Amino acid sequence: MTGVSVLLAIAAGLFAAGLFGVLARRTILMQLISLEIMLAGPALAFVAAGAHHGMVEGTAMFLIVLALAAAEVALGLAIYLQLRRDAGDGDADAARRLRG
Amino acid sequence: MLAYLLLLVPTPPLAGFVLLALDPYRLDRRAVRAAALVAGCAPLVVMAPMALAHLTGFWGDQIAPIFTLHVGNYEVALAVGLDTLSAVTALTVTFVSACVLIYALDYMSGARNADLRRFFALMNLFQAGMLSMVLAADSITFFLGWELMGLCSFFLISYNMTSPRAFAAGQKAFVITRIADAALLAGLLLLFLEAGSVRLAELIPAGAALDTARGPLIAALLLVGAMGKSAQFPFHTWLPTAMAGPTPVSALLHSATMVAAGAVLLARFAPVLAANDSVAAATAVAGVVTALFGAASAVAQTDVKRLLAYSSISQIGYMLVAVGVGVPAVAMAHFVVHALFKSLLFMASGVLAHAGAGGTSIAALRGTARRAPISFAAFAAGAASLAGLPLVTAGWWSKEAILASAFEAGWLGLGVWAVGLTAAALTAVYAFRPVFTALRAPETETPRGRESWLAVGPLVVLAVLALAGGLGVKPLTELLGGHPPHPALWVELAGAAAALLGIAGSAAVTFLPALAGRVARARRLRAGLQMDARYYALLVRPYRRFVRRLSGGRGEWVTRVVAPGRGTEGVERELEGAVRHARQPEGATSDPVGQATVVLGLWVWRALLLPFSPDRMDMAWMQGARGIGRAAERARRLQTGRVRDYALALALGLAALLLIGWGMTWR
Repeated sequence: MTGVSVLLAIAAGLFAAGLFGVLARRTILMQLISLEIMLAGPALAFVAAGAHHGMVEGTAMFLIVLALAAAEVALGLAIYLQLRRDAGDGDADAARRLRG
Repeated sequence: MLAYLLLLVPTPPLAGFVLLALDPYRLDRRAVRAAALVAGCAPLVVMAPMALAHLTGFWGDQIAPIFTLHVGNYEVALAVGLDTLSAVTALTVTFVSACVLIYALDYMSGARNADLRRFFALMNLFQAGMLSMVLAADSITFFLGWELMGLCSFFLISYNMTSPRAFAAGQKAFVITRIADAALLAGLLLLFLEAGSVRLAELIPAGAALDTARGPLIAALLLVGAMGKSAQFPFHTWLPTAMAGPTPVSALLHSATMVAAGAVLLARFAPVLAANDSVAAATAVAGVVTALFGAASAVAQTDVKRLLAYSSISQIGYMLVAVGVGVPAVAMAHFVVHALFKSLLFMASGVLAHAGAGGTSIAALRGTARRAPISFAAFAAGAASLAGLPLVTAGWWSKEAILASAFEAGWLGLGVWAVGLTAAALTAVYAFRPVFTALRAPETETPRGRESWLAVGPLVVLAVLALAGGLGVKPLTELLGGHPPHPALWVELAGAAAALLGIAGSAAVTFLPALAGRVARARRLRAGLQMDARYYALLVRPYRRFVRRLSGGRGEWVTRVVAPGRGTEGVERELEGAVRHARQPEGATSDPVGQATVVLGLWVWRALLLPFSPDRMDMAWMQGARGIGRAAERARRLQTGRVRDYALALALGLAALLLIGWGMTWR
């Protein structure tokens, strides 16, 4: 297995671990951390692919992903605070008013 | 491109309907009235310059295609168009309906607990229907407008939803016009098959050029359609009961729209009728019979609105006569004049009824000449025009043109002329009965009432036109491509004499107690020869019984599943006597042949019909419908409301997409 394949496998693993965290954890804080891990996977893949092809776009995409992650965390924390205020704790499953 | 301005004629009322019907802004009464007024008068503002430009020859025939579809040899092309006929009719319709709407603003706001929003929404939709019909350049738009009017007439006649009478009247109007509309639809479809296009410009020549048996068939179907909409004998029964609707509805329905639509249809398809002599003759005869019948029935009425209803029937009969004797231009001239004076009569009678002792009976009008002088003068002008007072009224000029044209149309025309003349005399008799009654001194003295300018304004305008419009009859006929008849002097004198004689007769009927008593006792004539009761006994009741039998005495098995084997008692009870007879030993021996038929019938019943009763189709359908409900019940469980579940669904969906994508590239 060449270097880039190892890195891509690690990226996929990061993504899968993050996804598992989002699905398995109920605390919003933990879900946000898992989301960050999920984002780290593609970011790593971008950097690895950019290095492999010798192009700078991969690193540039990493910066964009970083900005995206920051924005997402800002929103996520706002939701977290609102939920704390409403339900008293950070349980994501408690907010289920959309239930059919 | 300017032709597309034509689209702006039916659109404002349609927009008014949408606005008022959906009412997104929760308009108050004042805003509802304003919206209805703008939507109702805008067509006139748009139409008047266009019609005048066309009629003065400044602007030629226009056509504005909306949508075109070619299927094989057939062409489906929706379009609106402007030619002389549509210019004249659309101008009349927009003008009269604007007058009626202005009047209705005042009239309806006085009515108790009136639902103005519903009323004006329907009035606007009605206007849109009639306008799209008269401006249509293809049979589909034509039929759509035609049907839209039928629907709106149902809603407007049954506007007063708390009155079962109004509802029954609306239902009757709807069903009877529907029967005739079926004939019209069949005629239009046959024409379409012949011409291969829905454009009226191609349909009508193709229909006129037909020399197979289909030609008369199509013409007859069109005639039946027109007769139903125009409440011609024997379809007339819906119109007098339609008086259950509010007065502005009657004024709109009976003058320029709805009932007059039949005359417009026949004038539009006049070449098709003219190509088939027998159908043209039938049109003339049907028209003159209706004219006489309507006039005679109107004489015996005691209610002023019913009197006017029979008079509409009778006057449209005259238009049919004109089309039948081959002068559709004269028919349209009479259409314009009739629209003016009939809307005037209805609206004025509404004001007079409010001013009088209450109610719309003729006797209640006593003394209203003093209480509401302007409205009375307007009513008298309308009545004079209806009666055809010689020289000074528009009604005389157009009716005289019809009678003279009939006189010049051969031996059949001579008969039609004679009957039409009698009807004209009777017209004068009934037209002046309310006028003379209103002139009589009231039983109790009451002060002069207030006449709102909003109600009186349209009346005055219409009254002037109903009198002075006679000057326009001849130019109008020539514009429409007809030749005004030039009858002998004595024919004209006979027409004038008929009207004057009728007015004298009217005075006699009103002021001589002996004659007035006879009119009051003419109950058979008042009920329109009791055609209504006969239809009920002959058609409605048996049909209802038939339906009830089919549904097993309950009308509701569509909504709930009935166990098989039930719902059949009706038929078996009918057969019971025969069954018992067949099962008797002596019955069997005495009549083996009769027994065989009964046994065979029962076998057919059990083997073939019982499995379908109560209708398996319905049961399957309802089961399917209920299945959807159950499926939805299950489907809603998917909506857990938990973010994690949705995230899982997203992830699974993404995985599935990736798998599919991978599978597509995999070799």
